[in-house]
Amino acid sequence: MLVSKNWLSQFTTIPKKITPQQLGIDLTMHVVEVEDIIDEARFLDNVVVGKIVDVTKHDNADTLNVCKVDIGNETLQVVCGGSNVREGMFVAMGKLGASVRWHGEGEPIILTKAKIRGVESSGMICASEEIGLGEMFPKKYEKEILDLSHIVSTKDVGKPLAEALSLDDVVFDIDNKSMTHRPDLWGQYGMAREISAMYGTVLKPYEPKKIGKPAGASYTVSVQVKDTKACPRYMAVAIDDIEVTESPAWIKKRLMSVGVQPRNNVVDVTNLVMFELGQPLHAFDANQLTTNNKQLTIVVRKAKDGEVYTSLDDKEYKLTKEDLVIATKNNIVALAGVKGSITSGVSNDTTSIILESANFHPVTIRRTASRHGLRTDASARYEKSLDPNLCELALRRVVELLKEVSPKSFVSSTIVEQLNFTLDQGPIALDIDFVQRKMGVDLPAKDMVRILTSLGFGVKEKKNILSVTIPTWRATKDISIREDLVEEIARVYGYDNIVPTLPTFPIVPPKQNSLRDLETRLRELLAYEGRYTEVSNYSFVSPELLKKVGENVKEYLELENPIAKDRPYLRRHLRENLLETVERNLHRFDTVGIFEIGKVFKKELDGEGDGQTHLLPKQDTLLAMAYAAKGDEHPFSYVSTAFTTLMNRLGLQVHFEKKKEDHVLVHPGRTAAVLVNDVLVGHIGEVHPMTGEVLGLDARTAVLEVNLSELVPLLSEKTRYQTLSQYPSIERDIAFVIDTNAQHEEIATALINADLLTVDVALFDVFMGKNIPEGKKSMAYRITYRSDEKTLEGKDVDVVHEKIVAMLQKKFGAEIRA
Amino acid sequence: MKEQLSSLKKEFEAQLKHASSLLQLEELEQTIFGRKMGAFTTLAKQMKDVANDQKKTIGELMNTVRTKIATELEDKRALLQREEMKKIVETESIDVTQPQLPKEEHGHIHPMAQVEMELSELFRSMGFMVLDGPELESDYFNFEALHIPLSHPARDSQDTFFIKDHPEWVMRTHTSPVQVRAMREHGAPLRAVVPGRVFRNEATDGSHEHTFAQLEGLVIDTDISIADLIGVMKGLLSGILKRDVEVRLRPGFFPFVEPGFELDMRCQVCDGAGCGACKHSGWVEMIPCGLVHPEVLIAGGIDPDVYSGFAFGLGSMRLVMQKYGIEDIRHFQSGDLRFLQQF
Repeated sequence: MLVSKNWLSQFTTIPKKITPQQLGIDLTMHVVEVEDIIDEARFLDNVVVGKIVDVTKHDNADTLNVCKVDIGNETLQVVCGGSNVREGMFVAMGKLGASVRWHGEGEPIILTKAKIRGVESSGMICASEEIGLGEMFPKKYEKEILDLSHIVSTKDVGKPLAEALSLDDVVFDIDNKSMTHRPDLWGQYGMAREISAMYGTVLKPYEPKKIGKPAGASYTVSVQVKDTKACPRYMAVAIDDIEVTESPAWIKKRLMSVGVQPRNNVVDVTNLVMFELGQPLHAFDANQLTTNNKQLTIVVRKAKDGEVYTSLDDKEYKLTKEDLVIATKNNIVALAGVKGSITSGVSNDTTSIILESANFHPVTIRRTASRHGLRTDASARYEKSLDPNLCELALRRVVELLKEVSPKSFVSSTIVEQLNFTLDQGPIALDIDFVQRKMGVDLPAKDMVRILTSLGFGVKEKKNILSVTIPTWRATKDISIREDLVEEIARVYGYDNIVPTLPTFPIVPPKQNSLRDLETRLRELLAYEGRYTEVSNYSFVSPELLKKVGENVKEYLELENPIAKDRPYLRRHLRENLLETVERNLHRFDTVGIFEIGKVFKKELDGEGDGQTHLLPKQDTLLAMAYAAKGDEHPFSYVSTAFTTLMNRLGLQVHFEKKKEDHVLVHPGRTAAVLVNDVLVGHIGEVHPMTGEVLGLDARTAVLEVNLSELVPLLSEKTRYQTLSQYPSIERDIAFVIDTNAQHEEIATALINADLLTVDVALFDVFMGKNIPEGKKSMAYRITYRSDEKTLEGKDVDVVHEKIVAMLQKKFGAEIRA
Repeated sequence: MKEQLSSLKKEFEAQLKHASSLLQLEELEQTIFGRKMGAFTTLAKQMKDVANDQKKTIGELMNTVRTKIATELEDKRALLQREEMKKIVETESIDVTQPQLPKEEHGHIHPMAQVEMELSELFRSMGFMVLDGPELESDYFNFEALHIPLSHPARDSQDTFFIKDHPEWVMRTHTSPVQVRAMREHGAPLRAVVPGRVFRNEATDGSHEHTFAQLEGLVIDTDISIADLIGVMKGLLSGILKRDVEVRLRPGFFPFVEPGFELDMRCQVCDGAGCGACKHSGWVEMIPCGLVHPEVLIAGGIDPDVYSGFAFGLGSMRLVMQKYGIEDIRHFQSGDLRFLQQF
């Protein structure tokens, strides 16, 4: 919203020493965020009013004209490309030295003497945006120059443009998002109130004349509010003998300063009051609403589903039964609180009007506005919960102004009104000590009283307690509890004046978060000890991807309103999106090792409470790892080993239990359940070659997924130290040929259990192919022998080694290699 | 005898000059002191033939010559050793810029996770618990308990992801729901932070993501004031940025705090002079915060007449972007290793 310094000054005094910059900072620090401060005349140095006295075509360019421009003391020759240029036109003449911005953008350019296609040009006839007046005079066509003919006259020729247009105002652009909770700030007057509170200056009362008895009651108006919740107050009055003309300059200027285009005196007056007070008003053409007998019943009702409304700008909208409309017996004349309709608007032929000043329910208006994509200055204000008391004040002000802009006009009906609202104005009991403790400042009570009073609150002090009455314009939703009052006092006092303190806390170590700690540990181990890089994928997954990996979308929770229509499902695993990430990276890298830690969503399992009586779906945290390297035919063991190392570092034991699984995703011969300390925590597998192809994976890919939430309870601090043996150990290697089905873990267990002297077993080679029969593999282990009682001799080991050979032959059908 | 000794010495010194390697020196030593054939050894053996009255003088002379030769041999040996070592060391010169081969790869932690870990550690050191909460949250915890009424735009706008067939569930739009969860679970006093993933139904572009990260903070104790909030926030930002920062508090509105603030920090890029990064205001909007609304305390089962507190929300993803100068928020969830391997 734009706020004009001149307009504010109409209601309060801005101290002389306060520069516009300072006012901007003060508003930001005490009230609302000022995004920009715009000096109207910032681009108007060396720009004067000129009159075009001659236009001739440029010899060398079809779209250019050579103009002679009278600027009072001299006549300049200027080349001009404006599409609307004509003789007799009053224009903004940028003299040499003026700084203009092409198309209103970028850094300003200083005008110098130039030859344009061979013709000398001393300056430029400016478009509005080139001299910073784009908002005030919006262009209708691309190549339009600013036409001042309806604003200035011959006596202004040669005058600096800023002076001719009285552009001495500074406008503040307020961030609307910073005042959504303040219905009272959506007009200049409300902002003036804040300024008077900040600087301790007087706020002039807003007291338009009461509307007198109708001078001639030519209209009979009545109102029926069918939905009093949606419309707590409705006022209307008829005004006759209106002459629709241009507004006086001061009104046009006010409107333009806040970015509103003047239309005609009637519309301008209603707009002026809206921007002054924040209360939207609407003027209907009375003759369009009434029949010959000048009787009118205004009905405020909900629309019927499918009912059509045509807006002022001739667009059709299909309404729903949630939309509130203003209607006569036959027609919808306005979409309540949003916009008028085409049939009822004020035109140049209008001679009498019905003025509406009403209050509507904020949510009704907001939903209608957003449903139909119709956000207007009016709807933006109604959304904020306006004070219903403003209706009357605004109506009085409009009637008063109409008399000024159309002197013959007179009130020609009684004021009709329906109202149904109550406001909780308190009082709130405010303990002085409470304010001081909340602020952390020993602010004297008299300062609190002064601040609250300056903002319009009623305050009575009694034994360290302030009894505070809320003004109506703050009572709709903004202020209701004592904390709200603390804010009022503290912000006007100034947060900058509060000396920072530090609260005292006992020194106690915070409670641990085991899951977080585990995540941190895993990240560090995987990234810095392993070679895995962490990725972060979306929680949402596409049905196409799920289908490719054989998932049933029915098991998935689905978003009601997904942003990306292609990813509506909430992931149950990390692996699908992770594989997609592998696929993308394989186009750039030969080796991809990645992991992700994140939450998944399972609707069939119960999770945490919802705060009331039900439970949310379970949302465990998973770890997924994936690895692929071009040319590596066995990515499985790369992942399984990394995971085993990882778990061992955490003092946990891992077992991969081979399983025959019939799942589209995994290779049936290369998949296993992951057991940690004998508890099933997840799965590992190589992607099925066919699925890999469907997914576009350029290399064999192994993926592991485990549930960290289930891993956490298995963690314990113990990792036992083993006493160091005082006797040396002996190592012997053994190699044998064995069935390919034989499992390393089983063999290793058998070896270590073969005798008390075998203390360690390590696989160091596996080989298939050349010289090894089909269906067989060669395995080689290094066995460490040691006794806790004596130094072993060769013959001691020979005995055990023989035993092991026999065991391998018998139990596994192994054929010992030389 | 005397003459023999003196010529031996002369001969030795001549040869010593020519000895240019340790091996030659060794040979020279042998010719002098060799057990069988050594010139000096041979002379020493002749001592027994020296007349008795001369034995003492010759003996002393012999000793002097031996010591002298031995010392000179040692000195020369040391010299040659030094020279030889110098040669070796010179030939062993290496390329100090060459890395170990083959190159040892390691992985990378996601930049967002790194900063979360760092922040969590900072907060833990200040006595804050680090908490988690569900990402799919109830409408109650996400909105209602936080004093965001049904009529609030967030409840019906396009900003929130809703769950099909479960109108009572949403993807949490902020980490704030954990405020009430934490109050219910841990009671007061309380100091906690909640780093985590949040969701907004927003079209994605360079500076907007529908999935991003926040860090919620909550402090509840007796007599927590605005002055305390400013003090803690200032300390916090200094801790995060590892230098003193200037902050300012201005009015802001969030339904679950009262009063609510926007905390700005003096622009770190231009030191407040005004630049593109701070939109020429000299200040950067950093942390929305405020004193916890009494209704929220009540929802958390905490008596607002006894306890008060403050809450703040740190846009941790934005912080990471500022820290590394990342221009496009979409990099974070792109999974692109070219991006991730930089951290």
